[in-house]
Amino acid sequence: MNPFKHKGAGQRIPLVDGIEKVTGRARYTADLFAPDAYVGRIFRSPYAHGDILRLDVSEARALPGVIAIITGEACDQPYGVLPIAQNEFPLARGKVRYIGEPVAAVAAIDDATAREALKRIRLEVRELPAYFEPEAARAAGAVLLHDNRAGNLEREVHHEFGDVAAGFAAADLVREETYRCAEVVHAQMEPHAAMAAYDAERDHLTMHSVTQVPYYVHLTLARCLGMDAARIRVIKPFVGGGFGARVEVLNFEMVCGLLARAARGTVRMTLSREENFLTHRGRPQSHTRVKIGMRRDGVITACAMEMTQRGGAYGGYGIVTILYSGALLSGIYAIPAVKYDGYRVYTNTPPCGAMRGHGTVNARHAFESLLDTMAKELGLDPIEVRRRNLLRAPTETINGLKVMSYGLPQCLDAVEGASGWRDRIGRLPKGRGLGIGCSHFVSGSAKPIHFTGEPHATIILKLDFDAAITILTGAADIGQGSSTILTQAVIEVLGVDYARIRVIANDSAITPKDNGSYSSRVTFMVGNAAVQAAENLKKILVEAAARRLQAAPESINCMGEIYCVHGDSNRSASFNDVVAEALKGTGTITAKGTFTCPVEFQGGKHKGGAVGSTMGFSYTATVAEVSVDEELGTVKVEKVWSAMDCGRAINPLSVEGQVQGSVWMGMGQSLSEETRYEDGRHIDASLLEYHVPTIVESPDVEVHIVESIDPNGPFGAKEASEGALASMPAAVVAAVENAIGVRFTELPLTPERVLKVLADRKRREARRRRAEPAYEEGAA
Amino acid sequence: MEPLPDFQLLKPRSVAEAVTARAASAHARFLAGGTDLLANLRSGLIEVDTLIDLGAIPELHRLGAHADGIRIGAGVTLEELAAHPQVARDYPALAQAAAGVAGPTHRAVATVGGNLCLDTRCRFYNQSEWWRAGNQHCLKLAGDTCRVALKADRCYAAFSGDLAPALMVHGAIAEIAGAQGRRELPLGELYTDEGRAYLNLAPHELLVALRLPAAGGLRSGYEKIRIRAAIDFPLTGVAVALRRDGERVGELCVAATGTESRPLRFAGLEVLQGMTRDAALVTLDKLIRKQLGMMETHLVSAGYRRRATLVVAKRLVQRLFAA
Amino acid sequence: MKSLVRLRVNGIAREDAVPDNLLLLDYLRETLYLTGTKQGCDGGECGACTVLVDGKPRLSCLTLTAAVAGREVETIESLARNGRLSRLQQAFHEKLGAQCGYCTPGMIMAAEGLLRKNASPSVAEIRAALAGNLCRCTGYVKIVESVQAACAPPNGVTRT
Repeated sequence: MNPFKHKGAGQRIPLVDGIEKVTGRARYTADLFAPDAYVGRIFRSPYAHGDILRLDVSEARALPGVIAIITGEACDQPYGVLPIAQNEFPLARGKVRYIGEPVAAVAAIDDATAREALKRIRLEVRELPAYFEPEAARAAGAVLLHDNRAGNLEREVHHEFGDVAAGFAAADLVREETYRCAEVVHAQMEPHAAMAAYDAERDHLTMHSVTQVPYYVHLTLARCLGMDAARIRVIKPFVGGGFGARVEVLNFEMVCGLLARAARGTVRMTLSREENFLTHRGRPQSHTRVKIGMRRDGVITACAMEMTQRGGAYGGYGIVTILYSGALLSGIYAIPAVKYDGYRVYTNTPPCGAMRGHGTVNARHAFESLLDTMAKELGLDPIEVRRRNLLRAPTETINGLKVMSYGLPQCLDAVEGASGWRDRIGRLPKGRGLGIGCSHFVSGSAKPIHFTGEPHATIILKLDFDAAITILTGAADIGQGSSTILTQAVIEVLGVDYARIRVIANDSAITPKDNGSYSSRVTFMVGNAAVQAAENLKKILVEAAARRLQAAPESINCMGEIYCVHGDSNRSASFNDVVAEALKGTGTITAKGTFTCPVEFQGGKHKGGAVGSTMGFSYTATVAEVSVDEELGTVKVEKVWSAMDCGRAINPLSVEGQVQGSVWMGMGQSLSEETRYEDGRHIDASLLEYHVPTIVESPDVEVHIVESIDPNGPFGAKEASEGALASMPAAVVAAVENAIGVRFTELPLTPERVLKVLADRKRREARRRRAEPAYEEGAA
Repeated sequence: MEPLPDFQLLKPRSVAEAVTARAASAHARFLAGGTDLLANLRSGLIEVDTLIDLGAIPELHRLGAHADGIRIGAGVTLEELAAHPQVARDYPALAQAAAGVAGPTHRAVATVGGNLCLDTRCRFYNQSEWWRAGNQHCLKLAGDTCRVALKADRCYAAFSGDLAPALMVHGAIAEIAGAQGRRELPLGELYTDEGRAYLNLAPHELLVALRLPAAGGLRSGYEKIRIRAAIDFPLTGVAVALRRDGERVGELCVAATGTESRPLRFAGLEVLQGMTRDAALVTLDKLIRKQLGMMETHLVSAGYRRRATLVVAKRLVQRLFAA
Repeated sequence: MKSLVRLRVNGIAREDAVPDNLLLLDYLRETLYLTGTKQGCDGGECGACTVLVDGKPRLSCLTLTAAVAGREVETIESLARNGRLSRLQQAFHEKLGAQCGYCTPGMIMAAEGLLRKNASPSVAEIRAALAGNLCRCTGYVKIVESVQAACAPPNGVTRT
């Protein structure tokens, strides 16, 4: 029996960096002390699409106080997070493709001068036809945004697994429906910021940025600045949220680096909230046509989906997003045949990217919605129809995804019980309703974007004369609590006190490389690396204790802060004594741990098969209760019950916080959030018009944790930060249907949309009554 | 974040001093709570060289019984107004309107005068300088075309203050001080239906106070529609004051905000007198429909805002009848 | 235009020549280097910059420094006493009221303003007092719990 078992894993401990956050001591990028920094600002295109004819910065350059001005000529290296789709420049070259695209940038002695300089920049373009919707961009004869992408298609995906035709033929009921989801954005509370310091003597660049992926920033700086990576240092300070906004390198980061070098000094950039919206990388607007075949007993026989995403002007993560939408049709229910056709379209709008629940949310919403509709038609309970289609783990899906642990059945049970589903569904007063949605998500993409042959995660533990353990990690804590989870993982293995541990994260000069905080990979991958590092350190300590206690290593009991000889508690040594012994002859100890997803987990052999592959899927079931005001079209979420299978909750407090934040963000997408463009101009680029829910209309979210204990996750853990989101939109829409009998197919359910649908339905019903009076009378 | 333009800040101690200062410069502005003005200055919506901080003028901050009604200084904050016992008891529409503006931290400094003089709003106007320049500006500021109605020779930006309709249904009188002395007028006459020059105030004039007559038997209420339950400006806001005569309407006043460039008190409601509740509702619906002139100034359609105005008015009347 | 402004910030008397158009937010962050107060929007839309002026929550991004002359300004940096967290700070820390931490200083200062006038607010009162403070991480559930925990009497009875 391990005496300190669960000292780490399973503890509801506060964030290890929480004290800095509640005292205001936490330094975010904009807080860094740099009185000598120049102010950097970006000149953005007011045109949606055009060939650049002339860009004159001479008048701006002549302004006293302007230190440097750069244009597209400063960098001819295209970049992009996917090595196969790099088509973006830090500053536009030759063409502008969306309103708000960076065209030039200024570094000046102060903000006023920088702003004045921007006013003196002259841009002339030959305007080209601009496309703000996929249909227009794909139309025959449309001008191409990128010459090498015919039809303005960034990527078409056509996947078919199993015998889809046979599946539909075997169905008793086949239904098909189109669902539309508006574009949404992360709206993390910390606006984008970066600070770059260029040392002209050494030709060194130090970059501080708000990134979730410091390693990609490092690589891309090297690429775009044409610098040896060894001359670059990237530091991530405290980061005020990300949700995917910062999982790829962003133009202002490159611009800041280029400006610093041009200015031969330090440049700080803080973007306005409007510029944050223009930098975008949010979840694309999507149109999803889904078709499901179902037997009378609710068993799904086949599924077909056609998804069109409005990707914006550049590639970004687009290919991965459109692949995710199809790949994760599998992995949650047992579906014998799946066909998927995906279209990622270039448009003259700000580039989309990855947002919490990357690629899965809108597809899941469509699938779950149609599932509900069909269950209703067959007279099946919405929870029951999901039970009829459960997987059995371990298993491999038809598209080559491995499911090793599967707590969805327990999630369904939990929310069914907690919400009082059986007693309440169908018995609530009109205007009040319950609805359910389910979802899943990866615990890290099993195949890294940049294949280097390196491990997928590395952790170093440093132990020195002070007997303190320093965790050195490149994993980016952006508020999700990854540094806390790594601390708990190390403590669970070593059993030492929390006070003995410090985390140093995200300084490329000090910490090991990490791919970054995306696809919910950190707990699973970096957590496993941390476990291995701690085990390696423990081995060293056990051997030292054995030497000190003159016993065999096999006979040493590690009790955390004390090491003793098994069966002889008088023979013991304190942790400090063991460390002193361990340091003899070797000095400072570093123990390393790494983790690599085995190749058999890296997805199917088909093109794009790696996307969606993971070692462990999280599962969520969510029940939402809503009230609907049919006269005003308003929907309020009154209460949410969400059960999540996160494998093992290393920190249940943290899991609750992540699930609550996820389903709440899903509520925002369901009810109030959308980005809108008027002739390509972002018309709600503020926190006043982009409606992030306030505390007043935000419901209580009751979280139930299901622990399926994954065989490969650290202590059985899987992801907990993203998966729950995708369960929410379908739950809300189902609850609304339960409340007022109308199924909505377009998100968000703003009052305006709700009333329009209700009015259309009334008109249709009135027409039908006029057309079939005899039937009406007869039926009565 | 856009910085503020350069200006000098004056702190007059009296209304007369404030008015004199305002008259001295074409680009002077009165500053009260600043929740609207400072945000607009940062967006480059207003040209200014002098801000006249009204915070140190005692007269503007008085709030209390007056004759048989109440007098509300223009410098009274929305928080104070909402919490005032006489306001809450006799003029509930006003208390409800004040309590629902923006967020609590705004209401702690935002004033009655500021809310009544709130700049009109439009989706083409409340944007950054970069945005407006890229959109070739608009009639309200620096442009020659109204983006809401391309052929219009007027600006349709919508008035969005919550207090005005609540004060109007209670028959508020506005007290105004100017270089030539003081004048007063019914609050409704403070406004014109023109998004640029929406206030009937001379450049040097300052709104000093509002006077409300005794509530008498009037019951009132205010309700507004917005996407979120806080922060947002009203898509539409409706105030209703009702005097019941048994089961019939004695007197009914209805006013709305967010609907056009001025707060609108609906005319012709005298015909409702003597009607039963349900008959009055039918006629009221027609009267409101006829008078609502909403334009596409918001990101939410005029059609929805129109519909919501009707629903909210109906519900308020029902609620007040039941009270 | 500049003028000499006297005020107290976190208990310390200040006398600074400040431009008339200097926002309190910029004065705190750039003149005093009190960077705990955050900027999250382009003006008055998110509450991240909330500080206390004479004990009441104010948006420092919509407040002129010169307009608070003679007043007492308190920022997040002032709450801890003798190096120990205040009850609200402790509660936000322990109950995970802070995730990324960016809205936290404003959120805590708004809550501090509430608790100074109402020592045991109901959930509805907490929500009303924090209505102008946006958070993107928590869904607000643990923020409400944090404020409740901070004002809970030792026997743990809370109003709902």
